[in-house]
Amino acid sequence: MGGENKMAVLLKFCWILVVVNALTIGGGFVMLPMLQKELVEKYHWITNQEFLDAIAVGQVTPGPLTVMNAFIGYKIYGFAGSVMAMISSYLPCIIIVSLAAKFYYSYKESIIINSSFRGINAAVIGILGAVVISLGNTSLVDFSTFGIAITGFAVISFTRIDPTFVIIGSGLLGLLIY
Amino acid sequence: MSIHSEKIQDIDLKKIFWVFLKIGAFSFGGAYSMLAFFEKELVERRKWLTHDEFIEAVAIGQMTPGPPIVNTGICIGYKLKKIKGALTATVGQSFTGALFAVVLAIFYIKAKNNILLHSVMKGVGAAVVGLLLSIIYKMAVKTIRDYKSAIFALSAFFALALFRLNPIGLILASGILGLAVYGRRK
Repeated sequence: MGGENKMAVLLKFCWILVVVNALTIGGGFVMLPMLQKELVEKYHWITNQEFLDAIAVGQVTPGPLTVMNAFIGYKIYGFAGSVMAMISSYLPCIIIVSLAAKFYYSYKESIIINSSFRGINAAVIGILGAVVISLGNTSLVDFSTFGIAITGFAVISFTRIDPTFVIIGSGLLGLLIY
Repeated sequence: MSIHSEKIQDIDLKKIFWVFLKIGAFSFGGAYSMLAFFEKELVERRKWLTHDEFIEAVAIGQMTPGPPIVNTGICIGYKLKKIKGALTATVGQSFTGALFAVVLAIFYIKAKNNILLHSVMKGVGAAVVGLLLSIIYKMAVKTIRDYKSAIFALSAFFALALFRLNPIGLILASGILGLAVYGRRK
């Protein structure tokens, strides 16, 4: 990244966060495919591995996964990048939620909103599946990493153990194995 | 707004900030433990809103784009003090997490070539893949209820995995298709 167009990078990054967060319905994980496409594949601001690390940071820190954007923002533009990342991530939420709170009943009964969400919610599952394959290509390199992923999946899906502990535990495991 | 009129005088932005700072700092763990925490602090202890208003805020949080828990907070902030309350609740709620993320980012960039960090992150990266798989599993159990939603999920998967279409476009398109498929039957 050249010095003088860093500002342009920051603005573009913020714009991506605004668009992505405005479309993130049903939890922070929905934003992952869009972020991976834009930040990793299209603009190469971060690598797949750094993206995975950012998800881990979002998961082990208190608060929503969206916090990972502050981590990525720091990577791209330092402290100002983090602040701008948080503002851009939450701005669409604040606007839309305030409007929804004001017009609650018409929002809730809206056929347009309800039926488009049904389509989006189903599609998101497939989209997320495709992204996991791409991320898995980066991080699952041998027998042990496969084992960690499968164990992590089973523990998080079928027990009540918090994902935060699974991630911290796997980090320690990585330290032991490699 | 049906919030108890004499109580609302005592609520100022500073109080809203502190309450949400507390909520944000302790929001490890799943959505349900978070919501229980909200209800205890805001409905039972401080009586800032009634149980029904709280349930309404949770519903709005889930129907709007963005993280549902933060959105619930934004909604409660808005109910208490309009747009200023919404902003204050957001800042309070995300402050601790963002601070942690920045500290970790500084550490991460400094230790970039550290072999120990690489080993840790190798394990962590694999665990994140496992985590995402389990998110997909849980969402699929909840969302895929008929053959139409299964088709939505499968076509989106192939559109991205094989044809590398843009996910933003895919989400917009599935919203429009959802409207076309589900919108008529009401």
